[in-house]
Amino acid sequence: MLKREFWQQFDYTLFGTVLILCIFGIAMIQSAIAGNEDIAGSVSRQVIFVIGGMVVMLFVATIDYRYFSSITRILYVVSVLLLMAIYVIGTAVYGSARWFDTGVILIQPSELVKTIMIIILADYFAKTEYDAKDFRWIIKSFLLTAFVVIWILLQPNLSMSIVIFFMWFALLFYAGLPVKYLIMLGVLGIVVVAIGFPLLEEYQQARVLNFIFPDPNASYGDNFNVEQAKISIGSGGWLGMGYGHGSQVQLRFLKVRHTDFIFSAMANEFGFVGTVVVILLIVFVVIRCFQVGKKSTDTFGSLIAYGIGTLIFFQMAVNIGVNLNVIPVTGLTLPFISYGGSSLASLLLGMGFVESVSAHRHKNV
Amino acid sequence: MNQLGTEKKSIDRWRIRFVSLIMTSVILFYIIRLFSMQILEGQAYLEQANQNRTKEISIATQRGIIYDRNGFVLARNVASYNVVITPANLPDVDLLNPNGDVQRIYRELSKLIDVPVDNGEINEETVRNFTPCYTDFGIKQIVYIGDTNAPYNAVRIKCNISAEAAMIIREKTSDWPGVGIEIVSVRDYPTGELTSEVVGFLGPVPASQVDIYEELGFVSDRDKVGYAGIESYLDDLLIGVNGKQVVEVDGAGQTIRDLQVPVNPVPGNSLKLTIDTRLQSAAKTALVNQMTTLNLLKGQEKYQIGVVIAMNPKTGEILSLVSYPTFENNRLARVIPADYYNQLQLDTRKPLFNHAISAEHPPGSVFKMATAIGILNENVVDVNKEIFDPGRITILEKFTPNDPGTPRDYVCYTYKTTGAGHGNVNYLRGVALSCDVYFYKVGGGYGDEVPQGLGIWRIGEYAKALGYGAITGIELPGEADGLIPDPTWKRIYIGETWSTGDTYIATIGQGYVLSTPIQVLVSFATLANDGIYMKPTLVKEVLDSEGNVVTPFTPTQVWDITQDKLIHVYDENFLQTGEMKSVEPWVIQKAKEGMRQVVVDGTATDVFSGMKFETAGKTGTAEYCDNIANDKGLCIPGSWPAHAWYAGYAPYDNPEIVVVAFVYNGDEGSVVAGPIVRNVLEAYFELKAIDSGVESNP
Repeated sequence: MLKREFWQQFDYTLFGTVLILCIFGIAMIQSAIAGNEDIAGSVSRQVIFVIGGMVVMLFVATIDYRYFSSITRILYVVSVLLLMAIYVIGTAVYGSARWFDTGVILIQPSELVKTIMIIILADYFAKTEYDAKDFRWIIKSFLLTAFVVIWILLQPNLSMSIVIFFMWFALLFYAGLPVKYLIMLGVLGIVVVAIGFPLLEEYQQARVLNFIFPDPNASYGDNFNVEQAKISIGSGGWLGMGYGHGSQVQLRFLKVRHTDFIFSAMANEFGFVGTVVVILLIVFVVIRCFQVGKKSTDTFGSLIAYGIGTLIFFQMAVNIGVNLNVIPVTGLTLPFISYGGSSLASLLLGMGFVESVSAHRHKNV
Repeated sequence: MNQLGTEKKSIDRWRIRFVSLIMTSVILFYIIRLFSMQILEGQAYLEQANQNRTKEISIATQRGIIYDRNGFVLARNVASYNVVITPANLPDVDLLNPNGDVQRIYRELSKLIDVPVDNGEINEETVRNFTPCYTDFGIKQIVYIGDTNAPYNAVRIKCNISAEAAMIIREKTSDWPGVGIEIVSVRDYPTGELTSEVVGFLGPVPASQVDIYEELGFVSDRDKVGYAGIESYLDDLLIGVNGKQVVEVDGAGQTIRDLQVPVNPVPGNSLKLTIDTRLQSAAKTALVNQMTTLNLLKGQEKYQIGVVIAMNPKTGEILSLVSYPTFENNRLARVIPADYYNQLQLDTRKPLFNHAISAEHPPGSVFKMATAIGILNENVVDVNKEIFDPGRITILEKFTPNDPGTPRDYVCYTYKTTGAGHGNVNYLRGVALSCDVYFYKVGGGYGDEVPQGLGIWRIGEYAKALGYGAITGIELPGEADGLIPDPTWKRIYIGETWSTGDTYIATIGQGYVLSTPIQVLVSFATLANDGIYMKPTLVKEVLDSEGNVVTPFTPTQVWDITQDKLIHVYDENFLQTGEMKSVEPWVIQKAKEGMRQVVVDGTATDVFSGMKFETAGKTGTAEYCDNIANDKGLCIPGSWPAHAWYAGYAPYDNPEIVVVAFVYNGDEGSVVAGPIVRNVLEAYFELKAIDSGVESNP
């Protein structure tokens, strides 16, 4: 079934880079465990996720992405049902119900929905390509997104909600959002933040406030993680303390170092040079995605590739921003590197879509 | 698929470029930020990272032990047990069963050590004021605070529990994970109150000196420093040096490994004092018995403060030093209890004050010995010259040589009771009878009988040569220097001109003259030792922690007044000529003979009759009017209250011991202080006999 053209158009460089990042991630998680028995199983699980994710990615890549256009309605319904099901059979961890406990691993459906939403929105914008770019067009896409996000927001999972809205906005922009609406949305956004902030959960408010006005006395309290992340990064120097030798990582001063703060762990052990290389590798993945988008022969394909590329960039930017203490703490992972099966799987699924767009760029059916 | 076949409408290029531009800016910003953190500020962060993982642990040293001259322990270190909880080692709190293991441990522990499980309110202020060992918090609150600060550090729940309770808790280690016993070394004083004025006590590092001590490696909330006595004065010798361990710790505060070779603590030096605890006991008993007995006879608590000091005049070794009342240093050794400390502070008898070295009182007639050597050495009168004591003389009180003066009466102490004087007295009788008029006349001059008296300047010279007016340097904190007044001093501090009357009363140790009991002791020791002033000392030997002698006893001679030229020579106008001279040995000999006469046929004859050995001494009855007496309305002119003094030594021909006794508001020196000295002298020779194997009481 796979024609020669598929193998010609498949983006090996992109695939290779992603694979390198995933393997590097496994190595980094191995180091970040630092003798903590509670997370000692992370490495083997991550290996399984990477292998599983790669299989999914290759499988999706073989399917012509245009087929997905026809099943977006089904995907949409399944997504909403999945999210609603969490409230019935989900497992609460750290106070928010985000997971399905399968007995072996915890599955976070919102991560999956994040990628699916890109397909759904890309499909919507591609289909309305020739429609008037008016207010109705915007509102329709917004409602389409909001009906999914509302379930995520209620979990509560603010950061994921923001990611999906951001993706909506990015795709809206790529699809031709007129500049006057762009400005209006900008103003609206500010208003929403101003009104929405008091409605946030207390811990979310606290996080934001704590970021903007750090309490100088709270050395062992709320600032501890961020403070330790800064020390971890800073003490890395040019070349880092060496793999498995970062004092901040190995002596466990750095918390959540295998997930949200893996960037700091990396900076601690590999220094400026190593960290910049990893950043550039992820940037390279984004660039490749954008190139696939550019080469794609239809809008649907382009939007998928641009969308996934933007998602990877956004997640990276937010995660590194948190680590560098330039934005408040959120639970976003560093793409391909952080531990986390659902996140990795959804990103590799996204890469599968991009590879599909790349491999099936010529309408040869 | 609906757009199949239609021409592709590509996405606006400018939108992609715009987004790419934003992305590039973000990445550039991050890389710059990364560069600034890792490269520009990298060193500072690296230091923070090293500080994170490095912890200095101070290993407590052992304070030196204090012995008496016979090796009897006066201060030692014993184990004290504290109950501690390491929050991180407690069983995990089970959310489904919050009354589970932890609560059970708290309840059982609470019953054993009598600390409530739950007490007190946690808020910012109470947490800031939290001091382990001194808290009203319940176990739960203390653990909460400990857990918040450093979960792997043990926090003290209760301090100084009984050895039995500690044993029980140690046996329960497996049932009570996280609960432990911390053994700390605390000071113990086997002789307690008997020697507390000499030994002193320990307390926490004073807030004002925390920096100094921490610089030296001490831990301010653990290590203790001397607060009084030898513990304070020789703190540097006793305290030792803490050991140091530099370890790597992880984020939870757990020790991983040594980063440097640990430095072992150096124990403090031990001290062997010159004190003989047995003699100390005899001296204290003599003093307290004398005061108690007389109080009973008087029917009132009149005699409340007293001092007895005994010293070997040849070596300066202090054999006993009693300042009464004193404190129970064992009550202050572990924790300083506020109520007891306040009680000591508020006591008007000042138990925390060492009366033996810090109290300045008029010495009265014991001071006459300074005048006595002065008049002979300066040839004011001949030894045999008889001077008439009518009981009362009238002298013109002059402020300047040309002042016509106002007549003022000066009486001998006999005059108050008998209305008569001692009649004709020579030098020896003057000393033996402590004849005030004799000393007035020779000290201040009296018409043709004594054309020129010794004068205040020369009195001061001889007094200072005997040790008055300066600290002796005994190894105790807070020594006072007393006062030998002179016209310059009066001009500056009183703002008046010296008068002739001032000289007359200074001659007999009254007026402005002040001295400490140790100065009186030293002055007699110097005379008894033929003019050689030995520095009084409490330290016989300094030992290392294994008991080897580091510094053997070496007596320190301050000066020899018969050899060293200490006396300024004055011209007829009492101006210094610049020449210096020493005291003639025969003058000392005459002074000693005078003091012998005191007990043979003088003021202390009755008290010292029937002694098995020959003694010499001098009584003193020093009138005073301090603020306490004034407040009580005791300062009636002509009949002031008086302190009782007696200083004596034995054997007369070859003195081994000098004893001074002082009783505050003790009235008569011979009656109140004399018997105390006699008791101490007798005890000394009895102990000497015991030590040399001679049975004294067959």
